[in-house]
Amino acid sequence: MSMRTMKGTFALVLLYVASLCLALLAATVGAHPAHESLPQLDFQPPAPGSYKLHRIMAAPDGQVLNVDGKAQPLSQFTGDKITLLGFIYTTCADPEGCPRAYRVFDDLKKQMLAIPALNGKVRFVTLSFDPERDTPQVMAHYGSGRLKNAKGLDWYFLTTRSAAEVLPLIDGFGQDVRYSFSKANGKLNPELSHVLKVFLIDREHNIREIYTSTFLHPQTVMADVKTLLMELNEKVD
Amino acid sequence: MSFASITSFLHHTSNRCVAVMTTVFAILVAFLAAFAAPALADETCNSPYMAKLIKGQEDYIYVWTLGVEGMGDGFDKLVTIGVNPKSAKYGKVINSVSVGSRKEAHHMGFTDDRRYIWAGGLAGSDIFVFDIGTDPAKPALVKTISSMAEKTGFIGPHTYYALPGRMLVQALSNNKDKGGVTGMALYNNKGDFITSYSMPAENGGDGYGYDLAVNPRKNVLLSSSFTGYVNYMRPLGDVVKDPEAMKLFGNTMVMWDLKAMKPKKIFSVPGAPLEIRWSLNDGDSWAVTATALTSKIWLVKQDKKGEWQAKDVATIGDPAKIPLPVDISIRRDGKGLWVNTFMDGKTRYFDLTNPEAPKQTYEKVTGKQVNMVSQSWDGKRVYVTSSLLENWDKGGADNEQFLRGFTWNGKELKSTFEVDFTAEKLGRAHHMKLGSNAMRTGTAYLAPEQPQKLARK
Repeated sequence: MSMRTMKGTFALVLLYVASLCLALLAATVGAHPAHESLPQLDFQPPAPGSYKLHRIMAAPDGQVLNVDGKAQPLSQFTGDKITLLGFIYTTCADPEGCPRAYRVFDDLKKQMLAIPALNGKVRFVTLSFDPERDTPQVMAHYGSGRLKNAKGLDWYFLTTRSAAEVLPLIDGFGQDVRYSFSKANGKLNPELSHVLKVFLIDREHNIREIYTSTFLHPQTVMADVKTLLMELNEKVD
Repeated sequence: MSFASITSFLHHTSNRCVAVMTTVFAILVAFLAAFAAPALADETCNSPYMAKLIKGQEDYIYVWTLGVEGMGDGFDKLVTIGVNPKSAKYGKVINSVSVGSRKEAHHMGFTDDRRYIWAGGLAGSDIFVFDIGTDPAKPALVKTISSMAEKTGFIGPHTYYALPGRMLVQALSNNKDKGGVTGMALYNNKGDFITSYSMPAENGGDGYGYDLAVNPRKNVLLSSSFTGYVNYMRPLGDVVKDPEAMKLFGNTMVMWDLKAMKPKKIFSVPGAPLEIRWSLNDGDSWAVTATALTSKIWLVKQDKKGEWQAKDVATIGDPAKIPLPVDISIRRDGKGLWVNTFMDGKTRYFDLTNPEAPKQTYEKVTGKQVNMVSQSWDGKRVYVTSSLLENWDKGGADNEQFLRGFTWNGKELKSTFEVDFTAEKLGRAHHMKLGSNAMRTGTAYLAPEQPQKLARK
């Protein structure tokens, strides 16, 4: 191997390592801890079962990657149980965006685990729309201690192999994402932004509610989950 | 993550990696800080669920235009006007999309992702969906939703209010007696019908509808009321001379539980309360409306006990002369309100610093008849159109049809451009929405492996 080739190889390895470090750091930065308190709701949500959650549309399907890198249809994560699904990118730092969703999910998890009637009836799905950076490895790091089944509440951290795979999911859910590159100082800089949306999906893969930052609150989500269960005359307390 | 924990994390990596990461991290922090500011609201009068805002200079005004028989193709159309002073197309018609029918084009609204405009006509029930994301300069008609009358019994779709992934459509009339008893239809963004809600006709409700506006933080939806097809399709001169017809106007507003979509409280607001604007100012929880027939500004606000109340807080012009306030536009900080009065052609400015006592501080005749008024996010540009309804517009030389642009310096409206919709053979200029090249969705998602493709653009 020539010196030039060795230098090139070293540069590539360095670039790879740097990219991995950046991704892991970004995932750590993005995974805001749940200790920040959520803002209080400025209203009293209607009682569970006192209102109807209409079928907005069918949840789209497509191939996703679990943290082990295994490809599976998304529909395996949106049926049979009530699913709370949110799109994220691990480098998101908008406090009203992904970190907010993370805190709400964490809070909900605690509440749901305290209600035996909800055991095994709900799952969480966190799906990245940034497949380039958010590899299964990065998603595993992002999910860290939340991945394990905790007394019947699974939380899956999914990504996709490519933009080509995630695009139909983004469009299908109607998740608004802007992913572009701006040119500054002769370099292309990545720019990602989105408006937080979290989707409540029933056991038949139907989207029944879409939360933005205003309505994404443990109280409202809990009431909606109970409302879906009460449709089937199931216990909720 | 604290700075200390980041430092600790960095210590456990190689020195070379630390050096690279420190640089990258600094860039990352700067990058995140640059775009992490949360959006507050849309440019003054749209749904708070709107995903994208035009906070700088708008490039286009979309004008939903009533067709006029014998003028051009005679059909309703979406007209795009260039409004960026730096453009060679400033004040010019850039594009026009005809829908192939004339059904009293009236209002329109953006979907929550601002990729599409939904627009409709009061004479029927069709809803036209225009793609404005692919090329904001050239909207394209991509879908016609024709299910509303069949699914709901409602006709005359008026307000298109974006909810997350959905569009809530307020109708004005019904297909049985074509009176004012009506309701709302809910669609998903693909145009699939979801459900409908009747306006309350009991416990003080009149069953009428007109505008919708949401305050998500309070979980409330506020609705207003106008009149049905039998009145709004009839010449205005005939209506005002007919005492029975004059009884067929809405006199209520309804506060709904947004989540449950159930009426919470019905307010008596005499004289056809029309457009509703919630203050966008952080911490504010009040809305205003203007009544067409009684010429009043009403405030809807919670009292000290948290109970929603509606009260008359100001008079617009001389009610005895029926100036007919039609559209209103609130400043983004909730401190001022534009009010257009159709009959005298005036654009009036009310100081809303104290919403309990609005005071008119400025007025200007901006046309022989004026209807809609819109403003830019910074309030420095104001746009006015002319048409109310085909059979309510004035006749002869008073029937001006235009879009007029103005600048506002806080003291005076100065004319900047005018598009004569009659000379351009377009029709009657009605509702406006702002557009921008920055809203183009062609770059909405570009795979990271394709940066060169975007760079070439």
